[in-house]
Amino acid sequence: MPDGKTADLEARREQLYVLMLEAERERAVATLLEFAAGSGFQAAVNDVLEPVLTRIGEAWCRERISLAQGYVAGKIAEDLLVAAASSSSDLLLDVKGPVVIGNVEDDYHSLGRKMVSVFLRAAGWKVIDLGNDVFPSDFIDAALEHGARVIGVSAMMLTTAENIRAVRAELDARGLSGRIRLAVGGAVFKLRPELVREVGGDGSAPSAIQAPGLFDRLWAESLEGEAP
Amino acid sequence: MTSLERVLCALRGEPADRRAFTMTLSLYGARLTGCPVREYFTVPRRYLEGQSAVVRHVDPDIIFSPFVLPFEALAYGGEEVWLERFPPNVRKPPFRDPGLAEPLGEGLLLDPGIGYLVEATRLLAGEFGADKPVCAVVTAPVDLPAMLLGIETWLETLLFDPERSAALMALAEDHFQRLSGALFEAGATFVATPVMFANLRLVTPALLERTILPAMRRSFGLSRGPVVYHHGGNRIEDHLGLLADLPNVPGFVIDPRDSLARARETLGPQRLLLGNLNGPALAHANPEEARLLAAAILADRAGDRHFILASGHADVPYVTNPETLLAVRRAVIEAGAVA
Repeated sequence: MPDGKTADLEARREQLYVLMLEAERERAVATLLEFAAGSGFQAAVNDVLEPVLTRIGEAWCRERISLAQGYVAGKIAEDLLVAAASSSSDLLLDVKGPVVIGNVEDDYHSLGRKMVSVFLRAAGWKVIDLGNDVFPSDFIDAALEHGARVIGVSAMMLTTAENIRAVRAELDARGLSGRIRLAVGGAVFKLRPELVREVGGDGSAPSAIQAPGLFDRLWAESLEGEAP
Repeated sequence: MTSLERVLCALRGEPADRRAFTMTLSLYGARLTGCPVREYFTVPRRYLEGQSAVVRHVDPDIIFSPFVLPFEALAYGGEEVWLERFPPNVRKPPFRDPGLAEPLGEGLLLDPGIGYLVEATRLLAGEFGADKPVCAVVTAPVDLPAMLLGIETWLETLLFDPERSAALMALAEDHFQRLSGALFEAGATFVATPVMFANLRLVTPALLERTILPAMRRSFGLSRGPVVYHHGGNRIEDHLGLLADLPNVPGFVIDPRDSLARARETLGPQRLLLGNLNGPALAHANPEEARLLAAAILADRAGDRHFILASGHADVPYVTNPETLLAVRRAVIEAGAVA
């Protein structure tokens, strides 16, 4: 039988989950802020937000929730991070990474990339977001400048996903393919999972919410690749 | 029987000499004639030549006017991108700020891209309309704002700014009436409308009920001709029941991942079903695989008079083997008459 504290946490998570599904952004953020006021922002993220995001991610994978609901979840996480950053909160931001993300050359569909950015930041990653229409060499230059071991490239359509090959070619040409891992994502990869390998990706995630897990894995692979 | 008679049999549930079939071969005409894609999608007569080649090669029962939805967004501005073996696309949406999107009114039909769509439809109808239904493809009113603003901004507006979302929907509904009206006037038999933002994989149930479906009912109800509802690249089986009462919709194109049998259960025995070959996947299928895929679908629907074999998702890719298309046709012939 759960003790009082555990039961309270479970009730809050359930409440937040329902509010996310109903796209009740303001009420969801208020719930999180109320919890943060008593227990701190770090606990609000670790004990309430993250477990709910995990549940949302699982439901998203099984196509039980919509893009809009996933988007609202991202907005709620973003609102909490903004509130934490603008107060002297205990939340540890930027404790992992950095990583570089952007939409590949000719791709302007920013939704997925922005959601990935929010969920990565909520998981403690420092994110260098290069925006839309990023040249292959700019991804690599930014990764080298900031010491990133993972580059995340987003493309929505097949036509622009093909441009990711140039990022892979640039990594290979500079001899960085072991050290810098390439995450790819976007709607087209859900329809055609085999495309991840075809364009030279090292991995992908089924939804933006699962991006932190992917980046954890690729970061670890990068470190292993450099181990003597 | 002519193709038109065959398609009408499917619509009315009458026996036919064979199953009606079609594939979305808008782009493929350029492949068959060797016409550069940019010329094909800007000169209506080149498009007609391409579709004439499609008819000579595979003789589908329904032919398509140009499947270039991005032209509808580009009429408002933005940047286009042309690739060698793909239809043009929107590189950069016309508006960053939803407040800047204004209806074009009568100016819509003066846009060169829109003019091309209408004129190509007129040529197709003149050449083939007596024997074959001509299907014109029009963006769903609930999807046009996503093309004008980008998916994120439209989603954000739909979720959090009901006033602005109503204004954008009004723009899109006006656009739909003007364009579909011009295409019907040019001779289109029906329009097919791929719909993304009426899908529970994209929007919340509350948005669907309160905002999206009312807009679709208004638009389709005012349409000057029939609107075939296309799955828009997403599965629709689980919420098909919510779409069943949309006015002026005689049929539904079902996603290749959905079950036609379950769609039939949901829609009842007399609604036209089209599907559910995966058009883009034909590029990776050899002719025998394609024949077997088509044959399996035809066998599943053998007793269903209200069914047309059709490809779903996007256009059949440029690189698809011409023999693969013939294999689909062969499966249709082998399946025999619709009793």
